[in-house]
Amino acid sequence: MMQAMISGATRTLGQVTAIALLFGVFTQPCRAQTLTGSVSSAEEGPMEGVLISAQKQGSPITVTVVSDDKGHFRFPDGRLSAGHYALRIRAVGYDLAGPQAVDLEGNNAEVAVALRKTSDLAAQLTNTEWFMSMPGTAEQKRPLIECMSCHTVQRIVRSIYNAETFVPMLERMAQYANNSIQARVQPRIAEREVNDDSLRKLAAYLATVNLSHGPKWDYALKTLPRPKGRATHVVVTEYDMPRSTIAPHDVRTDRDGNIWYSNFVENFLGELDPKTGAHREYAIPVRKPNSPTGSLDLEADADGNLWLAMMFQASLARFDMATKTFQMYPVGADLDDDAMQQSMVMPRSATFDGKVWTNDVARQSIMRLDLKSGQYQRIDPFTMLPKGRLHAPYGMAADANNNLYFMDFGDENIGRVDARTSAVTIYPTPTAKSRPRRCMLDAQGHLWFTEFAANKLAMFDIKAERFKEWDVPTPYTYPYDVFSDGNGELWSGGMASDRVLRFDPQRGAATEYLLPRPTNIRRVFVDTSTKPVTFWAGNNHGASIVKLEPLD
Amino acid sequence: MNSRRCYRIFLCMLVVIGAAAVGHNAAQAGGILFGDDDDNGESRGPYFFGFIRDSDGSSVPDAKVTATVKAGGALVTRSNGMGVYKIPGFGKDINPDDIDISCSKEGYKPDGVLRRPRDPSDTTDPVEIECTLKKE
Repeated sequence: MMQAMISGATRTLGQVTAIALLFGVFTQPCRAQTLTGSVSSAEEGPMEGVLISAQKQGSPITVTVVSDDKGHFRFPDGRLSAGHYALRIRAVGYDLAGPQAVDLEGNNAEVAVALRKTSDLAAQLTNTEWFMSMPGTAEQKRPLIECMSCHTVQRIVRSIYNAETFVPMLERMAQYANNSIQARVQPRIAEREVNDDSLRKLAAYLATVNLSHGPKWDYALKTLPRPKGRATHVVVTEYDMPRSTIAPHDVRTDRDGNIWYSNFVENFLGELDPKTGAHREYAIPVRKPNSPTGSLDLEADADGNLWLAMMFQASLARFDMATKTFQMYPVGADLDDDAMQQSMVMPRSATFDGKVWTNDVARQSIMRLDLKSGQYQRIDPFTMLPKGRLHAPYGMAADANNNLYFMDFGDENIGRVDARTSAVTIYPTPTAKSRPRRCMLDAQGHLWFTEFAANKLAMFDIKAERFKEWDVPTPYTYPYDVFSDGNGELWSGGMASDRVLRFDPQRGAATEYLLPRPTNIRRVFVDTSTKPVTFWAGNNHGASIVKLEPLD
Repeated sequence: MNSRRCYRIFLCMLVVIGAAAVGHNAAQAGGILFGDDDDNGESRGPYFFGFIRDSDGSSVPDAKVTATVKAGGALVTRSNGMGVYKIPGFGKDINPDDIDISCSKEGYKPDGVLRRPRDPSDTTDPVEIECTLKKE
């Protein structure tokens, strides 16, 4: 088994493709520049909560600020250097009338940004706003939350399929891998069964909310309010990736402040220097060429080395941060097949017992890798529960003794697997059918997680074995992940609302920062070494990395 | 209708009211299943329920309730504000008699478990187990 692992610096170095894109030239400020201005429209006069984005010609970096209650905005000193900048705005209901660009030269620049009413409001709606707008019951809308994995709801509501022609289209969609985006669709090898009745029911519903009946929607388009107050005190920086097929899924910083991300659809690990914008990729060996490529979970072990869960490639990958080489841990032939799907990896406490936790979504099971032998052990955590119920071990955390805590994303449970005995304890969440998704375990033994389908943030105290839940303020947010920053605040994001949620669970106070572009957020990461903290996430469908810096 | 039957109906109603207070969403195992309602009624054994009481007979809310399966594994839940717990049910292949219920709460110590008789031939007859705690 060990021989089967691709290991050793010499061999792996040969397989590493390092693509250094010298974006740094675009981001080094020649001298401190400041762009300030005001934003207004004929309808509202000075406008609060308008996002103003500036992207230097040829640069992959876009910086965004938000107008205050007087309609003023200011890019922080040193963020922009001399050059020609394209301007962009986000304010639902409005388009940018002008100026479309600004030149920054020796002096600070001031611009008056004018907005005009948009002629295509529908094009500006987030997934959340479509969910708010569409008629139908919560049960009818619920299946659409799966669609957001690969594309926006826009694509559905603008389609012209009717109840009959939707059926074969949905059947086709079901056979795509989870790690598909519009820029790179990946079919599954193992066919998935689809319930025909449910599919027809969904098709019939979708045909009532799309454009199969005419050129306009016969329901009012509802929008969320623009940011105001604290939600305007923020700077957002977006780093465009060099290819549209890069789908950043999990993002995290290393000890030097560099950004690392998993690419959901291609076998690369990515690295970004946020100071210079330099971008590198490290090729991960493709083990199963006919299966979908790409990785999901990106975690660090106790030594700071990175681990990737390779999804349909049926392997874990360990990236040595010193040698920049991979060691692969493929699933053995006895457990592997075309459906095998490893989405998660948890190496955090592997030094305790030499074991790394992972999962197999297809078989609804936990897997555990023995680092010494390279062998995997399969654990079915749901043997005590009724058969036929859908479960999916998903987000994972490990305590200091490498006991595993996992999310049952298919259903409504948190699970614990004892590292020593493999005994399983199931903890149903207070809210039924909550579908817990990703999680983090803090030093106090608080397991923070999202209840994706229940629109809640939650905490499970692993010592007291007690849950707490908090509603996310905006309906249909469907939070994917949450991060506790150690300062008493939670940070969350998801695939629906294009907003980053900052939440104080003690006071119940929430701030929602709007992002400049449609942003499909998965794993969220907070760099707590800065004051205030810095939020990082990938834009899974937008081929960019997003940095959000609150100003207070 | 005898008093015991009345009591059981009342307790079941409490459980149903509690269950109705929470939402119900369709589940999917990490993929597109178009909102299948995974009705697993046929593979589900009877549900477990009961009061958690102290030695004075008062109900004990927010007590930890552990259902331990003889073959391995456990499920942990808590009593609600009325001191009632409910576990929707284990797999039908698990004999209800092979599941032990225990309860605990800070400031209390265990003071016995009462398993009410049920018709073993009726696989849908819920299992009622009352758990008593004593103040320390």
